[in-house]
Amino acid sequence: MISIKNLRKEYGTVTAVDGISFEVKRGEVFALLGPNGAGKTTTIKAILGLIQYEGDIFIDGMNARENEKRIKKMIGYLPEKVAFYDNLTALQTLQFYAELKGIHDADLPALLKEVNLERDANRKVGGFSKGMVQRLGLAQSLLGTPELLILDEPTTGLDALGAFEVRTKIRELSEQGNTILLSSHILSEVQELSHRVAILNKGSIVAIDTVENLSKKLDVQPKLRIELEHVSDEMVQQVSALDGVRDVTVEGNVIEAICPPNAKLSIIKTLEEAGGTVVDFKTVEPSLEEIFIKVVKDHV
Amino acid sequence: MYEILTVAKKEFMDNWRNKWIIAVSSIFMILTLVISYFGSLRSSGWQDLEATIGGMMSLVQLLVPIIALMLGYAAISGERERGSLMLMLSYPVTRLEVLIGKFLGLGAVLAVAESIGFGVAGGVIALNVTGVQWGDYLVFILSSILLGLVFIAVALLFSSIFKKRSTSLGGAIMLWFLFSMIWGIILSGIIIARYGFEVFTDPDWVGPTWYYAASIINPISAFSVLVSLNVTPVQTNVIRMPSFYTTPLMLLILLAWIVGSLLLAHVILNRQDL
Ligand SMILES: Nc1ncnc2c1ncn2[C@@H]1O[C@H](COP(=O)(O)OP(=O)(O)O)[C@@H](O)[C@H]1O
Ligand SMILES: [Mg+2]
Repeated sequence: MISIKNLRKEYGTVTAVDGISFEVKRGEVFALLGPNGAGKTTTIKAILGLIQYEGDIFIDGMNARENEKRIKKMIGYLPEKVAFYDNLTALQTLQFYAELKGIHDADLPALLKEVNLERDANRKVGGFSKGMVQRLGLAQSLLGTPELLILDEPTTGLDALGAFEVRTKIRELSEQGNTILLSSHILSEVQELSHRVAILNKGSIVAIDTVENLSKKLDVQPKLRIELEHVSDEMVQQVSALDGVRDVTVEGNVIEAICPPNAKLSIIKTLEEAGGTVVDFKTVEPSLEEIFIKVVKDHV
Repeated sequence: MYEILTVAKKEFMDNWRNKWIIAVSSIFMILTLVISYFGSLRSSGWQDLEATIGGMMSLVQLLVPIIALMLGYAAISGERERGSLMLMLSYPVTRLEVLIGKFLGLGAVLAVAESIGFGVAGGVIALNVTGVQWGDYLVFILSSILLGLVFIAVALLFSSIFKKRSTSLGGAIMLWFLFSMIWGIILSGIIIARYGFEVFTDPDWVGPTWYYAASIINPISAFSVLVSLNVTPVQTNVIRMPSFYTTPLMLLILLAWIVGSLLLAHVILNRQDL
């Protein structure tokens, strides 16, 4: 769906994007993950032809430079800082953008309902809260059911509830089979929503893969988390001595350790033999936070 | 094509909703009536349309450019500053289409305001005088609209060059000063320096060609020459009109300003990152 080849953008002396390449497949949610200033927004702006750039971008095999209008017709875009016209109502706003996209049969009230703005349809956008503006932004990006959705930090600046609503909507769209390019600096969000992820740092891709594969490749293994009635030094020593077990940590009555899957049982056994009573245990998947810290550290 | 009309319609409706059209129409109407009724020192009461046009010339030359610049100076830079320009350009519309749409929409605002303002005032005057030359009055209104379109195009150019509302406003004001005052003062200054003061009181004096040519580069002068040639002899910034001052040339100059400004705005906007 999207194919980016050696994309490069300099603002004066700042290299915002430093020759990155990646592909987004049809039907997947692809995330650009990285801290502020990593080059996420710049990459997105290039895809939409909002900035000049070096390298090539193809959408459905069409060169983005030469087919700007056709490509923009296929895309729904939610900018990082979405801004509308204060003097227009929510409905008038959507009417304007629908016309701009050449859509004359859109059911705008239904679209407003989808983002829970049906009761604010005739209110002026100037009086909207940040969350309402963002939801209206999401609504305009959905006009004409675009083949490709590009959402630049869709939950940034929203309160917990607003962010939850937007994430729920994105998951819904993903389940309907939409292709989504998402940018975020929130790791848990990317983990929750996306199939594949490119980790961006200082304009370069430092890792690109599925969330699971990335964990494997980086050797960030699942953690075993065991809650006991009480923890003794002896237990910790014996567990640490087991084959393949490492990074054993203790916090209160909880022992955490990284281990290969086949070592799980022997850890539990060892603990019981050393006089421990296991209350509960579970495997914790590594968070992207850990992956991210590791990747960036390795790369720098 | 529909993209251009969508942008144009939005500009027009914005100025309809915020009452600009009504306000500007009223200003034009009231000032025209005042000029017609009080404008003559020799007689009291209504003057005929021809005399009124003569009196309205300086009003139009000052006011129409100001109103056009006010309408257009923030059309691009204001949207850029707010952030809505980025969203608009993420839709299937080119920067040229946005420029043309804004030009047509704002042009329609000014055209409607001038037509209503001058039209209603003309109707009131016609009820009170005899021998109304409607044709002349219509040509005058159309010429004023053309002058307005020039300054809307120039305002859009400034709005594209400068990235902030404030700087594009500054640029627009400077330009207004240039064409309303400085241009004429500089040209007259050069004439005075070379030929002395007397030439301005000598009805038979003929100046050098460069002087006449440089004068009508100023669109406000081109406008007043256009009205002088077609409606009623009015005071122009130029001492005396040479034979190459023709209606087609004046129209060409004004159109060149419109097309040139929009094309330059397009070139500049196309190279900018959002
Ligand atoms: N218009 C601009 N002018 C100058 N520098 C810019 C501009 N836009 C972005 N940058 C710089 O480019 C880099 C990448 O920015 P951006 O793509 O916005 O990052 P992100 O979206 O990942 O936070 C940053 O260093 C930023 O300061
Ligand atoms: Mg960003």
